[in-house]
Amino acid sequence: MTDEPPIEPGREETTRAAASPDASTPSVAATPPDAAADHAATPGGTPDHAATPGGTPAAAPTARVPGAPAASSPAPPAAPGRRAAAGRPSGLADFVRERPEVPIEISRPQLQAQSRRDFLLLAGGVLVSAAGAWWLLPDRTRGRLAGPARERLDSLGARLGMTRDRAEGILNRALTFDDDVAEALYSRGRRVRTYERSQVTPLRNNYDGQTPGPEYLAGWRLRVSGLASGRDESLAIDDLTSRFPLHEQVTRLVCVEGWSAVAWWGGLRFADLLAAFPPAPGARWAALRSSVNLDGDGNPDPYYVSIDLETARHPQTLLATRLGGRPLPIEHGAPLRLLVPMKLGLKNIKAVTDIAYTAVEPRDYWNERGYSKYDGL
Amino acid sequence: MNIESDPKSAPVPPAATPASSRQAPARPSAPPARVIPKHHALVRLSHWANVPLLLGLAASGLAVYWAAPVFMHAADPASGSHDYLRDLGAAAARLLHSGGDARTWFYDHLSLGPHALADSLRLHWVLAYLFMLNGALYLVGLIAGGGWRALLPRPSDVADALAMMRFYAGVVPMALLRRPWPHPPVRSKYNALQRSAYFAMPLLGALAVLSGWAMHKPVQLGWLERLFVNYDGARIVHFICMLVLTTFLVPHVVLVIADGWDTFRSMVTGWSARVKEAPND
Repeated sequence: MTDEPPIEPGREETTRAAASPDASTPSVAATPPDAAADHAATPGGTPDHAATPGGTPAAAPTARVPGAPAASSPAPPAAPGRRAAAGRPSGLADFVRERPEVPIEISRPQLQAQSRRDFLLLAGGVLVSAAGAWWLLPDRTRGRLAGPARERLDSLGARLGMTRDRAEGILNRALTFDDDVAEALYSRGRRVRTYERSQVTPLRNNYDGQTPGPEYLAGWRLRVSGLASGRDESLAIDDLTSRFPLHEQVTRLVCVEGWSAVAWWGGLRFADLLAAFPPAPGARWAALRSSVNLDGDGNPDPYYVSIDLETARHPQTLLATRLGGRPLPIEHGAPLRLLVPMKLGLKNIKAVTDIAYTAVEPRDYWNERGYSKYDGL
Repeated sequence: MNIESDPKSAPVPPAATPASSRQAPARPSAPPARVIPKHHALVRLSHWANVPLLLGLAASGLAVYWAAPVFMHAADPASGSHDYLRDLGAAAARLLHSGGDARTWFYDHLSLGPHALADSLRLHWVLAYLFMLNGALYLVGLIAGGGWRALLPRPSDVADALAMMRFYAGVVPMALLRRPWPHPPVRSKYNALQRSAYFAMPLLGALAVLSGWAMHKPVQLGWLERLFVNYDGARIVHFICMLVLTTFLVPHVVLVIADGWDTFRSMVTGWSARVKEAPND
């Protein structure tokens, strides 16, 4: 791009340049016009030193290519001073004032070569964009766009190295990159915005399976494994509510779909459970699982999420037992659900039955279905 | 592309030597072309990159929007719809006698399609990061080329913009009436309407990025979410940014076509052959 014509050839025409101490010195005024006007050779030249002597827009609007005869002779040393006196007093107004558009002269072969190159680049960009769009679009969209031609186009792309596997790799890399950004933004000291109880909004149950009957509540236990003690714990809901203090908060639950709801939650802090039953050394993750769900046909539909322990220890991460001042209803995860308002709603697993602390990142239900994994808000 | 074929190209100044007047392209002494440098290379690059990026962002964004519309009304008992965009699509399907499912017509035709949330989110992140990178390139080009000065609003813009609107409103009628209808004088790189549009579009792009981050990270960037009042405020602003950016395309393309080849070419090659002989005219 160094052979580009510069964009602002009129910079030397500024009164700022004339008013600056540099421009009023005789040495600058004596700069040879050819060197000063050679924009192609000095695209980044400082405006002050590129000042063409006597170069007012009316007197010398045209810059010259090297070797062209100079039309204007060096100005008398008094000229810059005269222009400075006529210049505006405000430096800022002068700085932001639009510079006049000054024509340059450029050899026609050079101009044609540059223009040809730029149009070829544009055409190449159109081709690359079209191919890239085709490559990265979801299967269904490609099918709708191309119909029966889809397979032929796909195999053509694959022959050029644009395979479905690689497309998946790129798209999933975007997910993990975005997760890394979210993790870098996370701060345990930063609190989630809280609301007044009067600001509570209706909370929907977004599960499309069946809400199980209340039978499971009687036998419900929370199993905790991966502990430093080496033993597994099995806790009843009363063990948890009597042992740990109740914390209440009114926070927003944000769904990956885009809706959100402000709700009044109560429960114990995950951090308190972690302190009472510390994980084994080296554990960095909690795998939370619910085995009470039934899908639309009434078959078991276990749900499982991964939570990094850093987030689990956040003071606003609750193992919620109450919603709206009452015990959790079944459709919102009785008797105990995870409430982690700094994560997407899909991490806020209902009716938790198992917590396992692990050193390696556990499976995550929605990550296995194409969504991101860290899901930090 | 060929400057010789451009009727608007400036007259070649009298040749310095008789030999060079014979239009020999290979000769270094051929008469040079007088052109006005227009746009920095990075500005041109980012300008064109915006086309696929914004189209992809709008299409994937609408597919994400389908999962939970923000502009909703009480459910219509007849159609079961509570989504204005779905109603719009159903109306379009009726009007065009379009086949397929009228309930998802809007999302089938203007987005990646319904039931594509995971795929659309991934694509939206890819394009969003590229869009931010592209915006940064644009800013670098705007500063490096000094082009930002031509975008700044100025006090005369209101009157000049009104004059331009009056001019555009009269172009077709006056052409039909065969009456002269001179273009208002433009003393700068852009006329006042262009300038306000080209000044507003980067700001709108920045607003789209900010509202996007506000809804993407409303907890860690809570201050940003509050800037848009709340979570849904950011969604609404983000949606409106999309609407305005895509709506801008229509007058943008129409006016570039009306303005002519030189204007289009200058955004590809970076130079214009429209040399104003008297800049103070």
